[in-house]
Amino acid sequence: MTTYAQREVEDMATVVKPTSKGRHFVRFITSTDHKTIGYLYLITTFAWFLIGGLLALILRAELTRPGMQFISNEQYNQVFTMHGTIMLLMFATPLFVGFANVIMPLQIGAADVAFPRLNMLSYWIYLFGGIMTFAGFLAPGGAASFGWTAYAPLSNSQYSPGIGGDLWIMGLAIGGIGTILGGVNFITTIFTMRAPGMTMFRMSIFSWNVLLTSILVLLAFPPLAAALLALESDRLFGSHIFDPANGGAMLWQHLFWFFGHPEVYILALPFFGIATEILPVFSRKPIFGYKGLIAATIAIAALSVSVWAHHMFASGQVLLPFFSFMTFLIGIPTGVKFFNWIGTMWRGHVTFETPMLWVMGFLITFLFGGITGIILASPPLDFAVSASYFVVAHFHYVLFGTVVFAMFAGFYFWWPKMTGRMLNERLGKIHFWTLFFGFHTTFLIQHWLGIKGFPRRYADYLATDGFTTMNMISTVGSILLALSMIPFAINVWITRKSPLVNCDDPWGYGASLEWATSCPPPRHNFLTMPRIRSERPAFDLHHPHIKTEGH
Amino acid sequence: MGDYPYAMKFNTTQRRLFVLAPALMALTGCSVDADSGFSGDASSVNEITHSLWTYSWLAAAIVGVFTAILIVWPAIFHRAPKNGPEFPKQTQYNVPVEIAYTLIPFIIVAGLFYFTIVKQNEIVTPQENVKHEIVVNGFQWSWQFTYLDAGEDKTVTGTPAKPPVLVVPQGERVRYTIISNDVVHGFWIPEFMIQMQNLPGVTNKLEFTANKLGEFPGRCNILCGRNHAQMLFTVRVVTPAEYQTYITNLKPEVEKASQS
Repeated sequence: MTTYAQREVEDMATVVKPTSKGRHFVRFITSTDHKTIGYLYLITTFAWFLIGGLLALILRAELTRPGMQFISNEQYNQVFTMHGTIMLLMFATPLFVGFANVIMPLQIGAADVAFPRLNMLSYWIYLFGGIMTFAGFLAPGGAASFGWTAYAPLSNSQYSPGIGGDLWIMGLAIGGIGTILGGVNFITTIFTMRAPGMTMFRMSIFSWNVLLTSILVLLAFPPLAAALLALESDRLFGSHIFDPANGGAMLWQHLFWFFGHPEVYILALPFFGIATEILPVFSRKPIFGYKGLIAATIAIAALSVSVWAHHMFASGQVLLPFFSFMTFLIGIPTGVKFFNWIGTMWRGHVTFETPMLWVMGFLITFLFGGITGIILASPPLDFAVSASYFVVAHFHYVLFGTVVFAMFAGFYFWWPKMTGRMLNERLGKIHFWTLFFGFHTTFLIQHWLGIKGFPRRYADYLATDGFTTMNMISTVGSILLALSMIPFAINVWITRKSPLVNCDDPWGYGASLEWATSCPPPRHNFLTMPRIRSERPAFDLHHPHIKTEGH
Repeated sequence: MGDYPYAMKFNTTQRRLFVLAPALMALTGCSVDADSGFSGDASSVNEITHSLWTYSWLAAAIVGVFTAILIVWPAIFHRAPKNGPEFPKQTQYNVPVEIAYTLIPFIIVAGLFYFTIVKQNEIVTPQENVKHEIVVNGFQWSWQFTYLDAGEDKTVTGTPAKPPVLVVPQGERVRYTIISNDVVHGFWIPEFMIQMQNLPGVTNKLEFTANKLGEFPGRCNILCGRNHAQMLFTVRVVTPAEYQTYITNLKPEVEKASQS
């Protein structure tokens, strides 16, 4: 591994060193530095990930055997509603904002985001929106229990009375505003604050994906906010927007999924971006087919707003051929991405440091999620397995495979950039393999559960249904999955005082610009800016004799 | 592997192949196994969909295993050499390969889409030869079945504790009118590969023929509130003669219910 002489860095932290932990804390939470706000996002989202995971364990425990063992039907509905809500809107979506905040300005050579104070406001809106949603558990009658999809008219005040539902709706509407503001901030930053020489087609794939994700946020979250506020107006003021007599049942499904499907890509694209950053570094090659990859990502973003009704194939009220065709089509650019990733590794010099291992876990898991996605693009096959555990398994392969595997890949990869210290490799590998086997034990079997007829969101099943063994296997897997958080926690703890890496690029082959500044970067990111003449400025800086071929 | 000066440790390669082969067989096994999940002839829908299910999985398995091999291959065989050069050739573009991996998936999904449309039209197009009409009304939290051949008031109503039985004649096409008066429900018979949402304010129609005698579970699969998991029913497929007897005998029960 190549190391470089540490350049003279004036340590800003020593100049104005806080004298107590309290001051340090206040300084941390009042910062407008994009990196610090990013860390706040990462820490908060990880806390929600653990809470959402605990809720999932309650669900798995309850499903282990037929009969109700631990909680009631109503509590079960609350728990899976909050599990889905937390994982999608309080963990995965803001996790994108966290990674984008920490990494994107570094990658484009900016000193900060375009609107630093708006950035901080977005975080606080998100935090309190999330707490408000979760606070439903403290309300009389408990939290929202109509599922994270909140289908009307189940979610109205007649069928779901109680303040928990109102807290859910308004909490998400408020949190959604935080996400929208984050999207505005990232788009402006990328369009106006790139360093000299950083053209759009020299920008890293992660930053490209942040841009396209932010555009999708602006397309998807305002309709969600509108739908939520209309729903609250129905509940609170007695309006009839989602009254079934006016076609409200279908109106909600359309509005919700018009948000809900782009949302899937809002969750996926940034994490595809993380995988795309890591693969070239540990293959010692440039990304294969860089421009084609960008084109594929643009195609995914464009198509993602035209496939929403594939969530409604069994409603009998949508134009099946159109939405089926668009859904099949979106499989093509997704397939192209796979071949870009494979092409990057192909004939490379592949090494398996922990981040790369996580990316391999992502590739294998997401591949299977993509394949069941192609199966589900066909309406006749949806008639057979829609709204069953097959679908539950499918979207956990897609979302967990992408978000969680790439999140840990990103943590291990950028930990030295964020903290100046490496995480332990051995513990990282134990963490990976425990989680990998835990995940697949939990969710692979759920495909068969769905095919055998187990509907999603069932608190219970009959002993005669034949679901018991498969549910037991799934629960055992979920315990293993939960245990995999222990090596990670140990890793973060024991490496907190590891030696500093004291170099710009501890991995040795970093390509994008964040590897051309110190670990961690100074307050405004760069003391000197390298020449940017390709999409690998840091690599060009550190390995000036290596030339790219194949143009 | 001959053109790789740094991948020449043949016994290492051999050892890696031994690891790879069973892993791939396991992968293929998983995918091929999944097509055995459904009956091929339990209903008219199975007759249409089962082949689509099987061949879609076959196509998916071929593409999936091929891609999985391509992912695992460089991870095993294109490792950084211990005593080789530090950097591989810095290939960035290969236009023919890029065109191929865009066009071939397009051809595959175009094929899948074609068969999807053919099969889908067979399922959703209404037919002339419908013999019976049954109204399926989902409510919180059970089902009400109305046998229209016997009259508007010939209904069977279940409760969460006592799920109802939907009696249908073997080999005769039935048109189901799928409705709800409260929240959204999902009318799903897993064995028959068919489902449709009960939407309040909307009247959905669905037709199929049950072919196999016996009892099959049916379940609500759209979240509908507290007792969603108790919103079960049983489909009992009987001979047409038994069906006639059943709906004839239904009358007194209904009359009794309406009198009280």
